[in-house]
Amino acid sequence: MISWARVIAVAGGILLGFGTLPGSAASLSLTSQNLTPYRTCTITATPTTTTAVADATARQGSATTNFGTLTTLTVSSASGANQRIHLRFDLTVCSPAIPATAIVRLATLRLYMTAVPAACRVLDLFPSTATWGETTLTWNNQPFGATINNPPTGSRTGTFNVGTPAGCQNQAAGYVTGATVTSDVASFVAGSVTNFGWMIRDDTEGSATTRTATFSAKELGTVAQEPQLVVTYVRVP
Amino acid sequence: MTTLRRIAATVAITAAGVTVGAAASLSFASSSLGAATTATPRCTTAGLTVLQNLTVGTVASVTVGAIPAACGGATLQVTVNNGVTNSGGSAAVPGGGGSVTVTIAVPPAVTASEQTDLVLVGP
Repeated sequence: MISWARVIAVAGGILLGFGTLPGSAASLSLTSQNLTPYRTCTITATPTTTTAVADATARQGSATTNFGTLTTLTVSSASGANQRIHLRFDLTVCSPAIPATAIVRLATLRLYMTAVPAACRVLDLFPSTATWGETTLTWNNQPFGATINNPPTGSRTGTFNVGTPAGCQNQAAGYVTGATVTSDVASFVAGSVTNFGWMIRDDTEGSATTRTATFSAKELGTVAQEPQLVVTYVRVP
Repeated sequence: MTTLRRIAATVAITAAGVTVGAAASLSFASSSLGAATTATPRCTTAGLTVLQNLTVGTVASVTVGAIPAACGGATLQVTVNNGVTNSGGSAAVPGGGGSVTVTIAVPPAVTASEQTDLVLVGP
């Protein structure tokens, strides 16, 4: 069965093709100019058993314990008790597959925040550089190691801001906005960087006053709160 | 013999001329193809935001944002495919661009991945 969207795409291609014919180019290519096709793949951490998404929290205070099956994900800045989120989306579940030649226009990481810190906090995203397991990850074996504030802020590829005070970007429970990871996903799609997901940490770990942001994990099982990765791209002919 | 040689030479020159003429014609058509492709504009190449609005585990509507003013007046066609079902809808883009919510006729269930196709027709 041919989908409607593909018919549109094929029609656009045909129109572009007709535009090459001498004499008929003017009228037919005018139609092709008016089509702007985008395709989006939304990866959602559902059902709870899906392997398309992996998420886990690493806790400094329980450095050898895995928390991959909890229903929450936590980022925390605290003295000796920092917490980080590790998150990975399998881009190959997109069907049809995102071509390696696609141009990624926008990629957004969506996390549903359930507990908001009382102060504005910047959360940094770093593309992970090594493989990790959802049910084996711990503070001690996590990518980037156990040293706090590492990797340095300068190597982050995305941020989002959370906190209840006025002026914070995300002040209330709900999906956070601003976590744009376009360049990372473009590299994953192109194959120039291996997709090990991301690590999310507080921009300033080790706070004397504990600052914690809590998010829904895959294991919560509530579709409307699941982690999502939204990738919008255009295909190169 | 001389006459025959002249006739043969004339035929050869004429044939060569035809060949050159045909080549020129093909080359010209090829140039038109390049020019047409280069000149094809879109109303946007920006990154549109795409958010699924869920109702009881289904994609009830899709909100497309960050649409530039250049796309104002266009028709946005949206199709959501979860690998099992395929449904869509359309809506007009406001004159100043911005955000549009398109109701999906038969909301497909949320799965591990859905494909959403967007086509801006016009303006």
